Amino acid sequence: MFGILVQKELKAILLSPKFAVTFGICAFLLLLSVFIGISEYNASVKQYDTGKQLADQQLREQSSFRMIQTKAFRRPDPMQIFVSGLTYDLGRWAGINQISSPRLRSSAYSEDPIFAVFRFVDLAFVVTVVLSLLAVLFTYDAVCGERESGTLPLVFSNAVPRAQYLLAKGIGAWIGLVVPVVLALLLCMLMVILAGVPMTGEHWLRTGLLMLISLLFFTSFMVIGLFISALTRRSSVSFLVSLVVWVAFVLIIPRAGVIAAGQIVRVPSVAEIQGQRDAFARDRWNLFRQDLDSLFENRRGAEPDSMTEEAMWTHMQTQDSMRRAIELDINAFEAKLYEDLSRRRNVQERLAFSLSRVSPASAFQLAAMSLAGTDLDLKRRYEDGLMIFRTQFVDYANKKTEDSPGGFQISFSSDKGMSIGTPRSKAQLDLTDMPTFVPPVQQIGATVEGLLVDAGLLTLYSLLAFAGAFVAFLRYDVR
Amino acid sequence: MMLEVPGAAMLEAVTLTKRYEDGVLALDHVSFAVKPGQIFAMLGANGAGKTTAINLFLNFIEPTDGEARIDGIVTHKEPLLAKQRVAYVSENVMLYPNFTAVQNLDYFARLGGKTGYTKDDYRSVLLRVGLSEDAHNKRLKGFSKGMRQKCGIAIAILKDAPAILLDEPTSGLDPKAGFEFQQLLDSLRTEGKAILMSTHDIFRAKEVADIIAIMNNGRIVMQEPASRLLGQDLERLYMQYMAGHTAAEAVA
Ligand SMILES: Nc1ncnc2c1ncn2[C@@H]1O[C@H](COP(=O)(O)OP(=O)(O)OP(=O)(O)O)[C@@H](O)[C@H]1O
Ligand SMILES: [Mg+2]
Repeated sequence: MFGILVQKELKAILLSPKFAVTFGICAFLLLLSVFIGISEYNASVKQYDTGKQLADQQLREQSSFRMIQTKAFRRPDPMQIFVSGLTYDLGRWAGINQISSPRLRSSAYSEDPIFAVFRFVDLAFVVTVVLSLLAVLFTYDAVCGERESGTLPLVFSNAVPRAQYLLAKGIGAWIGLVVPVVLALLLCMLMVILAGVPMTGEHWLRTGLLMLISLLFFTSFMVIGLFISALTRRSSVSFLVSLVVWVAFVLIIPRAGVIAAGQIVRVPSVAEIQGQRDAFARDRWNLFRQDLDSLFENRRGAEPDSMTEEAMWTHMQTQDSMRRAIELDINAFEAKLYEDLSRRRNVQERLAFSLSRVSPASAFQLAAMSLAGTDLDLKRRYEDGLMIFRTQFVDYANKKTEDSPGGFQISFSSDKGMSIGTPRSKAQLDLTDMPTFVPPVQQIGATVEGLLVDAGLLTLYSLLAFAGAFVAFLRYDVR
Repeated sequence: MMLEVPGAAMLEAVTLTKRYEDGVLALDHVSFAVKPGQIFAMLGANGAGKTTAINLFLNFIEPTDGEARIDGIVTHKEPLLAKQRVAYVSENVMLYPNFTAVQNLDYFARLGGKTGYTKDDYRSVLLRVGLSEDAHNKRLKGFSKGMRQKCGIAIAILKDAPAILLDEPTSGLDPKAGFEFQQLLDSLRTEGKAILMSTHDIFRAKEVADIIAIMNNGRIVMQEPASRLLGQDLERLYMQYMAGHTAAEAVA
């Protein structure tokens, strides 16, 4: 019985005219997205290579280890072809020097803002928007459409168990749609191979998992469509409801989750933090000046006009150490502010993602981005990696400066400000053992662990929707 | 003409009652029995409750009181078991528009538990119900109501169930097909099927049925063997019952 039902569903889908059209469009979009992804990736690689060469050249041209600086580049990753995520929002390189902490700058979107207008169309986008719509379009009238066309009574004049019928509807439609979608995805993979994208084994593993989670996402929308079809009696109503649900899940909830989290957990802006820091610093310095004044008063009161050189010296030393202590204090305060900021940001982010995950579309997008390594973690990974590299680089430069003094002479002091001496030699620098920036990699173990949550959620949504469809269909009036 | 058919009833309504959710009492303690080899015809105005009775036999709706039995099985208690024993033709047969006539027949035959039919079987049954051969492998999309009705009847024949429910099966059939359908019913009766049929065709009912029942407002107001109505003007009788006369007044 079950086989007969599934077979019929499959046949009905394959024979329906909308199948060829929608599948054609869908396959075309998937292939197009990968094509665009590949060319963008190739462009990024080119930019990366030339950028690095240029930076190496500039490094060799520097004359002193004192002022030495370099650039660290973010390496393009083949996974960005499928899920661009934050790739085009994050800067491509960071300046590494002794003075300021490294920041990624010049993102693709900031350089070519036209792309930011509609964003890149990647495979994840096509899956999130087009495939989910396709899934709903094929199942929204699964039950109510048959009732409307009047075939349900004849079907249920036979000894057909309702559960089997519903399951067969789901499975039949699933096979009918998933097989062509998988074929289209395989074509995309073929395109990646033919384009010579350097995919490692791990890349393929990630891609495979991405395909699996895409199918899981696709399935969840199919079952949601089935659920709606079992809740309604007319397909026009079902169509409307499906559309509203689709808009809510794909377009609204993901954004609403983030906005709501922003309201619930407030994160101060960087400007606010700067303000707090400045206020703190001003207070401290004011206090210091008062202390200094009273110290001076005291001394004058005790032994007027008899400041020996020695006393003067100790006085200056005390002053100096006080100054340093205050600077440390301010730095510590600022560090605490930033720590608090990043802690709050984490809480906000977690809340935003948890809220958004109510929608299968967000669960899928988060999973896809983390699989591709283009999620928010990409920024953190690079920030951490750049910090470490900067420390290594500065240490190296300092060591080299001690070994071979020369170049600029820079000295800072709080009262005199900065002074720069003149270079003494112009010899080539020996950069053989200079540390190089190794782009941070994402650990696959952690990725898979995070993936399980989203995969579990998508499965849960599918099961819940099917259970709902089942309960609704048990009481469905087939007439 | 009517023979006293021995044996238990195949289709049986026992004080069958249906009150819809909106309060309409569509069927009010109706009882009747159809034995194998009998044709039971229900006449009655629109809204008299004929379709309601048939839907109760198919468990499409649950009875408010009483029960419908097929081969002794109470339909709302064991619907799957009961449905194995019954074939059904609705007053407006709807099939899958993207499937051909033969594909539709094949699917529904399989659903009815008959998997052994060949292409020839489908061809001969479609010819038997009067669907011309050039339509057999056409999609249902372009079929007229009568053509669909013929396919529906063919599906019921293929199921080869001991009980058959026909809800105005001849609606939409042309006169020739209607006549052929009458012959078909005859042969089904000879095969020993128990047939419950609702119809508005008084004359054909009189010719083909073994028992004739007239329904009004959810009640059976007259139920007689066709043999006893032989000399009577059934149409006049029907009008009298519809006008609300009691059985005694009408027969008098
Ligand atoms: N789903 C329903 N909900 C409420 N009332 C209904 C429903 N279906 C039928 N009825 C009512 O039940 C009564 C009997 O309807 P039914 O369809 O059984 O009549 P019928 O004898 O088959 O009529 P027709 O000759 O027009 O086919 C009517 O008054 C009708 O309005
Ligand atoms: Mg009716």
